[in-house]
Amino acid sequence: MSYFTVFKMRLRMELQYRGAMIGGILCQMFFGMILIALYRALYEGKPQSVPIENIATYVWLQQAFFRMMLASDNELVDKIRTGDISYDLCRPVNMYGFYYARIMAQKLMGSLMRAVPMLIMAALLPRGWRINFPASLPGFLLFIPALVLGLLCVCALENITIAFTMITLDPRGMQGLLNLLMLTLSGNILPLNLFPESWQKVITLFPYAQLLDAPIRLYTGEYLPADAMRIYAVQIFWVVVLIALGVSMWSANRKRMIVQGG
Amino acid sequence: MDIFRLYIKSIGMLLKSHLQYTSSFIMQALAQLVMEGGEMMVVILIVDRFEGLKGWPGSNLYFFFGMMSVSFYLTEFFGRGITGNFPSMVRTGRLDTFLVRPRGVLTQVLCAGTDPRRITCIAVGTAALIMGSRLSGISWNLLKVLVLVESIAMSMLLILGLFMIEAVFSIFSVKSVELVNAITYGGRSACQYPIDIYPVPLRALFTVIAPFALTLHVPASWILDKPLYGWPMWTAFVMPLSGAAVFAIMTGVFHLALRHYRSTGS
Amino acid sequence: MTYIVVEDLKKNFVVKKKREKGKLFREKEKVKALKGVSFSVDKGELVGYIGPNGAGKSTTVKILSGILTPDGGSASVGGIVPWEERKTHVKNIGVVFGQRSQLWWDVPIIDSYNLLKDIYRIPQRDYEARLKELTEALCLDEFMKTPLRLLSLGQRMRAELCGSLLHRPELLFLDEPTIGLDAVSKLSLREFLKWENREYGTTIMLTTHDMEDIAALCSRVMVLGHGQKLFDGKLNELLEHYDTVRNVHIKYEGAVSDIKLPNGVISNQTEDGIELSYNPSEIPTSQLLSILQSAGNISELTLQPENTDHMIAAMYKELDL
Repeated sequence: MSYFTVFKMRLRMELQYRGAMIGGILCQMFFGMILIALYRALYEGKPQSVPIENIATYVWLQQAFFRMMLASDNELVDKIRTGDISYDLCRPVNMYGFYYARIMAQKLMGSLMRAVPMLIMAALLPRGWRINFPASLPGFLLFIPALVLGLLCVCALENITIAFTMITLDPRGMQGLLNLLMLTLSGNILPLNLFPESWQKVITLFPYAQLLDAPIRLYTGEYLPADAMRIYAVQIFWVVVLIALGVSMWSANRKRMIVQGG
Repeated sequence: MDIFRLYIKSIGMLLKSHLQYTSSFIMQALAQLVMEGGEMMVVILIVDRFEGLKGWPGSNLYFFFGMMSVSFYLTEFFGRGITGNFPSMVRTGRLDTFLVRPRGVLTQVLCAGTDPRRITCIAVGTAALIMGSRLSGISWNLLKVLVLVESIAMSMLLILGLFMIEAVFSIFSVKSVELVNAITYGGRSACQYPIDIYPVPLRALFTVIAPFALTLHVPASWILDKPLYGWPMWTAFVMPLSGAAVFAIMTGVFHLALRHYRSTGS
Repeated sequence: MTYIVVEDLKKNFVVKKKREKGKLFREKEKVKALKGVSFSVDKGELVGYIGPNGAGKSTTVKILSGILTPDGGSASVGGIVPWEERKTHVKNIGVVFGQRSQLWWDVPIIDSYNLLKDIYRIPQRDYEARLKELTEALCLDEFMKTPLRLLSLGQRMRAELCGSLLHRPELLFLDEPTIGLDAVSKLSLREFLKWENREYGTTIMLTTHDMEDIAALCSRVMVLGHGQKLFDGKLNELLEHYDTVRNVHIKYEGAVSDIKLPNGVISNQTEDGIELSYNPSEIPTSQLLSILQSAGNISELTLQPENTDHMIAAMYKELDL
C-alpha cells in the first residue's frame, strides 16, 4: 500500500466524524476563553512586556492546533496492547513510513478542520480576546513553513512514543507521560513566553517548542522575520534527529519481535 | 450501610486486581504525578511572574488549586465508574449485567470502577493545600475543618453529577466526550483559580449551572477569612449543598434515561 | 401453572441511517424489533427460542429480564412486570449472556461469587450450601482460586452459570450458552442444565443457533422471525414438515455400470463413494435402492435424515426470513 493511499484513507475517516469535530471545536473554544480570561485577570495586576493581545493570539493558535499535538492513534495503541502490531512489523513495507504517513494524515486533517472554523470564530471576538492578524505579511508567510516543520516534528515524536510503548507494552503510562511533557513544554498549558526568562532560553531549544511555539512567535512578531532561518534550522535539526531516532527504535523493535516470534 | 459495605468490598477487589499489574500501575501513577506536578508548577510559575491575581496573593492561589485538585482526583479515584468507564460499560453491554441484579444501577456502576493511579494527583493536591494553608497563615479551628471537609465532599458530588451528563448521553449512544469535557475538565481548569477574577458570563456558568463557585470558592474564601463577595458566614455552610443538589438532579435524569436504554449487541 | 405471560409485546428501535450526501443530519428510521409477540410458559418448562439473527430473540429476553422497556403490550413473570419492579423481579432470575461476562475478569472466581453473595444478599449458610452443590455439579473446584481471564472458554461458561445460579433463581435465561464450546463442554453443559431443571424445577429459556441444544434440552421450541412468533410447539412437530430429504452415502466394490437415476435425485460423486439426496415421498426408497443395487456390487451404504441445521435453514428460507 502506498503512503498516499494510507493518507487518503485516514482523511476520509476524519471527515466522517463531523459531530465529534463540532464538539471538539466548542470545547477548545471554551478552554481558550477560560485561559484568556485568566491571563487578562493576571495582566490587570501586573502587565508584562509581552502584550496581552499577543498572549490571546498565542492561546488561540495553541487551541486551534491542539489536535496536532495530542496522541491521535487509538487504533494503533490497541494494536500494541493486543500484540497485533507484530503482524504489521513483519510486513514487507517500511512500517515507520507507513505509520508516519498515517499519523500525519490524522493530525493534519484533525487539526486543519478544527483550526479553520476556530480561528474564524476567534477573530470575531472583541478586542483583547480575539486572535490578532499576523504582525507582518512576511511574518505570516514565514509562519506557514514553520508550522509544517512543526507537524513533521510532532509526527516523529509520536512515532518515538509508539516505539517506547512497544517496548513497555503499556500504552497508557508512557503516553500519559510523554503527552504531558508535550503539553507543558510546547506552551499549551502556559504560553512559553510567560515562563521565566532564564528557562525560556533553554526550553525554546527543546523539540517540543518547535511544534507550535516557534511558528506562533513568528506569527506574532516576537521572532523577527530576519530570525526565520535560524528558527528553521533548529526545527530541521530536530526533525532529522527525531526521525533518525524513531527509525532506529522501530527497526530495533522489529528485530526483537522477529526474534521473539511475535 | 449495606450499600456502603458492598462498595468498599467491590473497590477492595478492584484495587487488588489493579495491583496485579504492579509495574504498569507504578508507571501510570508516576505519569499522573508528573501531570499534576506540571499543573502545580504552572501555578507556581504564574505566581512567580505575576505575584498575585486580582487581590488574591499567591499563597491563596495554591490553596484554591489544592482544594480543586483534591476534590477532582478523589472523585476520579472513587467514582471512576462514572468519570471514566461508563461509556464503555454501555458499549460492551456490561450495563446489561447490572440491570439484571437486584441493586441500584448507579450503585453498581460506582462499585465497578476505581482509578488508584490518581493517588499521586491527590498527593500533589494535598501538598498544595498544605502549602497554601501555611503560606496564607490560616488559623485552623474545628469549624474551618468541617467546612473544608464539606466543601471537598460537595465538590466531589458536583463533579460526579457533571460527569453523569456524559453517562446520560452515552445511554442514548450520543458521543459527547468533548462537549462534556468542556464542563468537567474545563470546570476544573477554570475553577482552580478564584471565581471572581472571571467575567460575568463565566461566573454565572460556574455559579448556576456547574456551581463550583458555591461548593468550592465560597467555603474556601471563608476559610481564608476573605469571604467571597463579602457574603455572611452561613453561606459557607449552606451554599456547598448545591453540589448534592446537582448530584440528586442528575441521578433522577440518569434513571429517567435508563428507561430509554437500548441495549446494543445481539 | 403459568409462570411467564407475554401478550402482544412490541418494541421499536430508532436507527440512524447513513448520512446521505448534502444532508446535514442523518435520517432516522424506525425498526420494529417486536411486532406483537404473545406466549406463555409454565413453571419448570425448558423452552428453546430460535430464529435468525435480528429476529427479536434477544429483545424478548432483554425485556423479560428487565433490561429493556417495551413500547407496547404486556409481560409478567411470576406476577411481576419486569421493567416496573426491576429489583424485585431480578432477584428471581438468572441471566447468562453467551458472549459477555458478569464475573470480574482479573480476580479469582471465588471472589466474584463472594461479591455476588453480597449483591444478592444471600444468607451465608445458603450461599455455602449452594456454592458447594454448584461447584460439584459443574466441576469447578480446582478453578476457584483462578482468575476468570485464565480459564478456558468452557470453564468460563461453567463459572458464569454458577454465578448466575447462586441465588437460586426460579427462571434462568441463557443467551447462546454453547457458542464456541467444544463437544465435551457442550455435552456436560446440557447435562447440567437438565439436572438443574429436574432438581429445582428451574424454568429455563434458551436462545441458541445450535439445534442440538434444542434437540437435547427443550421439550418446546418457539420460532421467531421478523419480530413475530412463527411457531410454538414440539421440535418434532416443527421438523416433520421440513423433514423431507434423505441422504444416501454409497460405496461400490469393483466396476460400476452407468446409474440411471430418476428425476429429483441429486447425486454427487466424491472420492469416497457417491452422495445422493432424494425425497421419499416423490421417489419410493425401494425403487431407488433397486436401481442402486443393479448398478454394481455395493460395499457400504448409509441412509440418513437431513441434518437439523439444514432443516432450519430450509424453514427460514420458506418463511422468507
